[in-house]
Amino acid sequence: MSIEKKTVDRRTLLRGALAAAAVLPLSSALAACAGSSNDSDNDSSTKGGKKSEDNPFGMAADSTTDAVIFDGGYGTDYVAFAATIMQKNHKGSTVKVSPTTEISQELQPRFVAGDPPDLIDNSGENSIGFATILDQVEDLSDVLDAENLEGTKIRDTLYEGIEAPGTFDGKFAALNYVMTVYAVWYSSSLFEKNGWTPPKTWDEAIALGAEAKKAGKYLFLWGKEAATYYQTMAIGSAIKQGGDEVRLALENLEANCWSKPAVQAVFEAMGTIVDRGYMKPGGAGTQFTAAQAQWSNNQDALLYPSGSWIENEMKDQTKAGFDMKGFPEMVVDDSSAMPWEALHAAAGEPFQVPSKGKNVPGGKELLRTMLSKEAATNFAKTKLAPTIVKDTVPADGFGSTALVSQTDMLKAAGPNVFTWTFVDLYGTNVDQLVVWNSFLAGKSSVKELTSRLQDITDKVREDDSIKKIPVT
Amino acid sequence: MIESPLVPIADTEKPRKKKRRPWTFDRISFVLVFLVLPLAIFSVFVVWPFVQAFWYSLTDWSGFTPDMNFIGLENYQKLLDDDIFMTSLRNNVYLAIVVPFVTVVLAFALATMITVGGSSYGATRGLRGSSFYRVISFFPYTIPAIVIGLIWLQMFDPSNGLLNGVLTGIGLDGFASYPWLGDARTAMPASMFVIIWGFVGFYMVLFVAAIKSVPGELYDAARIDGAGRLRTALSVTLPLIRDNVQTAYIYLGILALDAFVYMAALNPGGGPENSTLVMPQRLLLTAFEKGQFGLASAMGVVMAIATLVFAALVFTVNRLAGGRQEGVRR
Repeated sequence: MSIEKKTVDRRTLLRGALAAAAVLPLSSALAACAGSSNDSDNDSSTKGGKKSEDNPFGMAADSTTDAVIFDGGYGTDYVAFAATIMQKNHKGSTVKVSPTTEISQELQPRFVAGDPPDLIDNSGENSIGFATILDQVEDLSDVLDAENLEGTKIRDTLYEGIEAPGTFDGKFAALNYVMTVYAVWYSSSLFEKNGWTPPKTWDEAIALGAEAKKAGKYLFLWGKEAATYYQTMAIGSAIKQGGDEVRLALENLEANCWSKPAVQAVFEAMGTIVDRGYMKPGGAGTQFTAAQAQWSNNQDALLYPSGSWIENEMKDQTKAGFDMKGFPEMVVDDSSAMPWEALHAAAGEPFQVPSKGKNVPGGKELLRTMLSKEAATNFAKTKLAPTIVKDTVPADGFGSTALVSQTDMLKAAGPNVFTWTFVDLYGTNVDQLVVWNSFLAGKSSVKELTSRLQDITDKVREDDSIKKIPVT
Repeated sequence: MIESPLVPIADTEKPRKKKRRPWTFDRISFVLVFLVLPLAIFSVFVVWPFVQAFWYSLTDWSGFTPDMNFIGLENYQKLLDDDIFMTSLRNNVYLAIVVPFVTVVLAFALATMITVGGSSYGATRGLRGSSFYRVISFFPYTIPAIVIGLIWLQMFDPSNGLLNGVLTGIGLDGFASYPWLGDARTAMPASMFVIIWGFVGFYMVLFVAAIKSVPGELYDAARIDGAGRLRTALSVTLPLIRDNVQTAYIYLGILALDAFVYMAALNPGGGPENSTLVMPQRLLLTAFEKGQFGLASAMGVVMAIATLVFAALVFTVNRLAGGRQEGVRR
């Protein structure tokens, strides 16, 4: 009798504990996200100091600027560098630079509470979707119209087309600070030794694949988190082949946009490369930096499509004398709408100034300082990557072949620079990764690749709760 | 029944009606410390977030604005139509079926070997060197989950991993560059293996402790009656440690319905064909990357419901299986 009673008691207790355990994951996930009704408009943003030549945004004297910067591949010291200059120029003002790797998680409660920082670098894996906070950030056109610290209008000192990736619905909502060139990278020393040349068309690439196989190497390799680098290369190649029509179809999520002839021609060529075994097998199970090291250190494969961060990313795992260089994506044939030299380049590291920040002019002033020649040159020198400010890289590229090759590619492309935003804008990369991993592993055909990418596009287009931003 | 010391023994025959006992300092402080305080903490940190999450799941809150609109059950409708979320739900259910079962069976088998599976002469005891096995099999549990994930990520590496190294080393060349975590057929079993590997030792120790509390005479009696090791394990040990098995099952189920850390370490993107994607991964992405906190909250509610359903199922199964035996005993 008493034993039975005990069992019941223990069960009841256990049941209570289990209910709590079931609820816990939920509450812990959302405890940090308590919505607040604090909607008080921050009128401090409107009051400020007097506007003047040295203070074009009218930052209040002795004010504090709060900057939260993504602490990724580029670190945060370049912002701190600009902050030091700014504190020197505006005696009494202070700039607080806080690094974080989780922009979204850290800033979400501050946005809800109406207390965001004055400047954010909304970058990295945990960045905030642009459409999500589009109406809560400043239009930064006035920063471009202001003069830099050297007295030149900022807009005139920048590369072409840097506004495109930060412009949404006609609003210049994000100033992308770092110039990123998307290209196919290779070891120029290895190519010279074997008498290979960078392919300009997909047919040449397939021929090079045969050469690579003879040398016991592969043409390409990939890592599972970075399978969509091949999507980036494919889209870039298709846009060069088919022109703006292809870009706009993809950007505006049109029906059958992945079935355009130019896109299909590129997919077919990539399918041939996969079928002939020119891709190093096992990529779908390899961590992407490990895969990249197989390219930069073991030289298992000849080519790797990536953004220009690749040199910095693999700095410690690159074979001595690798002499990394890049070339623009292949085109299908000579009839391409854009020349082979046309370049997929986009400014990255989006800096945004939230409208409800306590010191909006301070945020803009810090941006203006970062765009000065001194700060931009410092960035290029320490990070071996060009900023959107022109002419900050000397001819020797601070000793980096990849940096020189980037500036050369930008120069050769001239006005033929293009980019697209739909993948980042609608956050489809995660879903597309799955599709590309299958395709590159040879598990799905070109047809399946096309229909599955189209499904992802259609799903976004048909979801009314996702705000679409038309591109023209 | 133990009398509560706070209830004074009735000194009159008449039932007291609405006569309040005096609020002494002792009584007030007792109520405050033992009732009001825990209840307040529980409400604020457990009940309230739960209610709040449920409320958010009925709105279109983006997570970055103070305002939101009530949209009813639309988010739940959207989840039902979202094939990727349904895949992740299926994966969690799959995990909740396989992981607890395999772990409990393995842990039970090992615990039996260590405690009662030894020599059939003399007193009932475990295998020789059992304390050594007990210690080493507990090792994986002392490693944090994320570290386990990262260790196995390296083990499974197609080109440089230890696993393929061993397999090709013994002549199985088909496994050269075989992506264990990158093939839709093997990614989930490989991930399950990692979770099970991490927990078998712990639950084995739990079962060992439970078996030690079973009187040794029962085993002696079973042996005299001619029961073999398997029969002893199933007919003597298992019914006697039933409650421990049930607890283990439920805790493993809750773990399997989450499994976030392991999956995020092994396949951050959800694996090939989303074969290892679990609900919390999708939740995190929806909330912070896609800025749809309302939808993400709905996912959280679905997770909580799945966990409660699982617990209810295990209780029911145990009661059905156990009720019969209790009847036999009476």
